[in-house]
Amino acid sequence: MRLTGKIMAVIAMIAMPLTADAQIAVTDSIMPERIVVKSSQYGITSLNNLDTYLSGYDFKGMGLYYSHENFRDARTGSYRWKYQTVFSGSLGYAELGNNTQIAGLATYQWSGYHPFTVNSRLKLLAGVQIQLEGGALYIPNNGNNPVSLKLRTALAATGMAIYHFPVKGKDWVARYQIDIPLAGVMFAPEFGQSYYEIFNEKKSDGTVAFSNPFNCPSWKHTLSLDIPIRYKRHSTTLRLSYVADFYQSEINDIRCHIYRHAFTFGFVKTILKVKEENKIKAYSPY
Amino acid sequence: MKKAIIFFASALLLTGCIKEDSFSNSPEGNFEALWSMIDERYCFFPQAEEEFGLNWNAVHDKYKPKAEACENDAQLFDVLGDMLNELRDGHVNLSSIYGTTQYRDWHQDYPMNFSDSIQRNYLGNGYRVTNGIKYTSLPDSIGYAYIGSFAGGFNSDNLTMMLMNLKENKGLILDIRSNSGGMLTSAEKLAGSFTDKSVHCGYMQHKTGKGHNDFSSPEAIYLEPNKGAIWLRPTVVLTNRGVYSSANYFVMLMQELPHVITLGDVTGGGSGLPFNSTLPNGWNVRFSACPILDAKGNHTEFGIEPDYRIDITSEDWNNGRDTMIEKAKELIFAYYDKISEQE
Repeated sequence: MRLTGKIMAVIAMIAMPLTADAQIAVTDSIMPERIVVKSSQYGITSLNNLDTYLSGYDFKGMGLYYSHENFRDARTGSYRWKYQTVFSGSLGYAELGNNTQIAGLATYQWSGYHPFTVNSRLKLLAGVQIQLEGGALYIPNNGNNPVSLKLRTALAATGMAIYHFPVKGKDWVARYQIDIPLAGVMFAPEFGQSYYEIFNEKKSDGTVAFSNPFNCPSWKHTLSLDIPIRYKRHSTTLRLSYVADFYQSEINDIRCHIYRHAFTFGFVKTILKVKEENKIKAYSPY
Repeated sequence: MKKAIIFFASALLLTGCIKEDSFSNSPEGNFEALWSMIDERYCFFPQAEEEFGLNWNAVHDKYKPKAEACENDAQLFDVLGDMLNELRDGHVNLSSIYGTTQYRDWHQDYPMNFSDSIQRNYLGNGYRVTNGIKYTSLPDSIGYAYIGSFAGGFNSDNLTMMLMNLKENKGLILDIRSNSGGMLTSAEKLAGSFTDKSVHCGYMQHKTGKGHNDFSSPEAIYLEPNKGAIWLRPTVVLTNRGVYSSANYFVMLMQELPHVITLGDVTGGGSGLPFNSTLPNGWNVRFSACPILDAKGNHTEFGIEPDYRIDITSEDWNNGRDTMIEKAKELIFAYYDKISEQE
């Protein structure tokens, strides 16, 4: 077996469990109730973290990145909304001189999109998104201010462009998504306020701030390419992604940015959901 | 389509405008970064200006030529350390591979008022140790406990067992001399074994902006009782100039309790909760960030005056006798004599 053949075999073996649920062929005469596209992505990310509560300078490093996306149609019919949920997280290690920083962030996004079909290949989607984020930057060398907690929720505008193009007779899909938080609330201690005062002495008044594009100018870009792969009788879709996540805030004279550039890969699983009664008809010999 | 691609490409390339501090990683840049960081975040400028006439702008002008003249990092480290020592604050340090700078005059120009050799004459060999606290019962039914540090945590069960082992004593001497601090929570935990109710013991503030006088309104600090045994008999806390930081905080808490007397030398102070930050070259800086005030709203940064001001006499020192412990015993006996007279 040639090297490319071996690689294809490995990819097919990884992809098989992921595609096990796609039991109904797209050509089936039973119309699916809805189509759900799932994908887990694994990769690495660069880190560039600034939080003047901890340090006035950038800590730079690398980390692991994971994301899981569910993308689905709401209902079949002429008027459609599409829903997306994305859970993403990163855990990394950054340095400045002899100082080290551990950074962990987890984000959940729920989005609702309205599609606008430009032509048979290009589809644009626009919608709203709810973001929930939690995490921390941790510098062990900092005695009484070792941690900066990142807790926030926001309402965001989101847009997507999906472009289908053929390559050797296969349908490749390029997708770009942008998320821009517009308004939200976040945990924000005052300029010199210690976590000892907030949590030990329970003086937490004033530690919640409203965020907007002026004090929290952030956005996230996701660019992905779906590549159909076929090896012998198995077919699947490989997804390669680039995520550029620029989180920034400047509240109570505390400046923060967390810049992540993640490169990920994973496989796409398409599930065609069919109503229970239709399933029986579909598989009954009578 | 072309316009859309240009828009998306621009969006990817553009980053926001929230950047790190603009000081460069050069001798001058690190100097300016350190001076500015302290200027914006250090919390005792009003007290330092009043106490010893500190002028931080003049400090900048004095040390900038020295920093610019540095030929290597080792020289720069010494210059920056000297600049920080102008604050006369033991909580202000610069740390790097060259070591840690520290202002030490807060205790070096004062009598020691503590000798572990003399202490051995009281502790003997039969003392117990729990959570780092050495304790024993002295003759005449006086308990004695030495707390050399608040760096470790205290366990309620261990403190209860210690107090149960000392319960036959009429009073207790808590010796925290030369305790240079540790964790505020440890100081609170130990002090919580000496009150059966919530007691207002002080206030805490924090900086709300970069100005020297930008502070939040003081928030009250309450000492809460521990679960387990509580000691409400006469207690004397022994202090010297080496009592610093969270040990200073412990004295601030204990002095509000009605059955507690403080005795010895003025404490070393260090009432600011220190924060850390970094310079462009990665050197670590520690500085006082959050002032803690006593129950009357007074700063304790430069120390707390004890109820009974006393030093170890030269004669006692030479004879292996601890003047402070002897005076503490006297005060406990006097308390019971006074009760007997009233009855």
